[in-house]
Amino acid sequence: MEREEIITKLTVIFRTVFNNQSIVISNEMTANDVENWDSLTHMLLINEVENSFSIKFKLKDLLNMKNVGELIDIIKTKIS
Amino acid sequence: MTFTSFSFLIFFPILICVYWLTSSKYRWFVLLSSSYFFYINTKPIFALLLMGITVSTYFFTKKMHQSNSDALKKKYMRYNIVLILMPLFFFKYFNAINAELIETLKYLHLSVTLPEFSLLLPIGISFYTFMAIGYTIDVYNEEVPFENNIGILALFISFFPLILSGPIERAKNMLPQFRSQKVFEYENFVKGSRIMLWGYFMKLVVADRLGIYISAIFENIAHHNGTTLLFGSLLYPFQLYADLGGYSLIAIGTSKILGFNVMNNFNRPFFSKSMSEFWRRWHISLITWLTDYIYTPLSFHFRKYKISGIVISLMITFLISGIWHGATINFIFWGLFQGIIVSYEAITNKRKTNLELQYNLNKKIWYSCFQIFSTYLLFASSQIFGKTTTINESFLVFNKILFSHGKLFIGQPSTFIFCILGLLMLFINDLTDEYFPNLFLFFNNKNKTIRMLSYSIIIIIILLIGVLDGGQFIYFQF
Repeated sequence: MEREEIITKLTVIFRTVFNNQSIVISNEMTANDVENWDSLTHMLLINEVENSFSIKFKLKDLLNMKNVGELIDIIKTKIS
Repeated sequence: MTFTSFSFLIFFPILICVYWLTSSKYRWFVLLSSSYFFYINTKPIFALLLMGITVSTYFFTKKMHQSNSDALKKKYMRYNIVLILMPLFFFKYFNAINAELIETLKYLHLSVTLPEFSLLLPIGISFYTFMAIGYTIDVYNEEVPFENNIGILALFISFFPLILSGPIERAKNMLPQFRSQKVFEYENFVKGSRIMLWGYFMKLVVADRLGIYISAIFENIAHHNGTTLLFGSLLYPFQLYADLGGYSLIAIGTSKILGFNVMNNFNRPFFSKSMSEFWRRWHISLITWLTDYIYTPLSFHFRKYKISGIVISLMITFLISGIWHGATINFIFWGLFQGIIVSYEAITNKRKTNLELQYNLNKKIWYSCFQIFSTYLLFASSQIFGKTTTINESFLVFNKILFSHGKLFIGQPSTFIFCILGLLMLFINDLTDEYFPNLFLFFNNKNKTIRMLSYSIIIIIILLIGVLDGGQFIYFQF
């Protein structure tokens, strides 16, 4: 799966989880840039990503993830 | 030794001189020895415990560092966590569990004699144990590298400004600072002194004055009416805030003077608009610690259950937080109370956001005031469980607040007036910082006369109104 495809799919997930249809994701985006992205909604997001891409994260993956760009990198690695 | 003791007023200026006059290569050693000196002054024997926790943490993290297998690393991490938690459990919960056990055996008509110890909780044990656990998990997760110098690790665990009541710092922030070369900066000295001064004001003027009035109420619950108990319950969160918040500011200021940046512990919590926001602004170092090392692994484990997984994780985390505060039914109730509220907010968050958008509520002042007031009210209610000693007492307070009203207890008029004065000063300071951050500047004013006048007024108020006879910090008991 290409990076662009992952971004498109991820945008839909972000808009659903954070209840905001105007979210446009970028590589540098962090939890501070999205309203309602806190420790409570974070795991809902992770669960949606896992289901949608049929992958499984490790806790270590999440702890070292610094922004959306790194989330996309990890998804890309896991898919391939 | 504590920050409000006379010996600290001698210890700290001497340390500042010795520290900055020593070559930067050996400064960590000056800090380590002074930290142990500071801690030994409370009770010498407990320094052995501190040393034991340090050695165990160093030994197991070294083993983790040398090992190539993830399973082995995990095993060493678990060994260390279990080992260093043992003293905390023993000192904190042995007598409580023992008493419960004796009661249960009595109920079953079994007469068994169990040893009873008169245990004094080593001050700060929770705080330095949590810091050591955090470092161990961070090394396992490769978030911080293994610290090869046991002296630097010992300094991280025993750093005297933080050892008694936090902020519970992270290795990621502190270890690089202990290793870096520092030069004396006048600006840091001034900033640190200002922070300390406001911390002393919060502790000695607000917390300890409020403490006298609130203790007079809660130590005689049976004799007070609901109006007084309601007033006391509404004041108690401010006493807690001024006590731990004041302590934290003194710790942050002390560290700043020595050239260290320590995390903020409170961010004007009483302006929070929900309980979830409140917990991001109150005792930040403990809450982020609980979030990172308990809530996150739990919610990750339960993530397939979606919102139910989050609720389970929240309930367990708040329950642990309650039990950490004390091994009593009251604190279990406190934990459950908080867990239920934050879970409810998590479940209804989406609906609430939609409503706010639909009616443009976030731009309405009355709505913000309502949210702030209801959050404060919920926190103050939950603290009734924390302030009373038995569950019957807690319900007596609730009952009286609802059904037995009367004249407000004033006590000593001077104490009452000083309480209100200190409280107003603290509240106005937080209010201006929250909503008009650059409008009223006193300590940070560009005009030197205003700055000097502000320092002098606060010092005079501390000397005149402050409780200077060595009141304890509430969080020493945790």
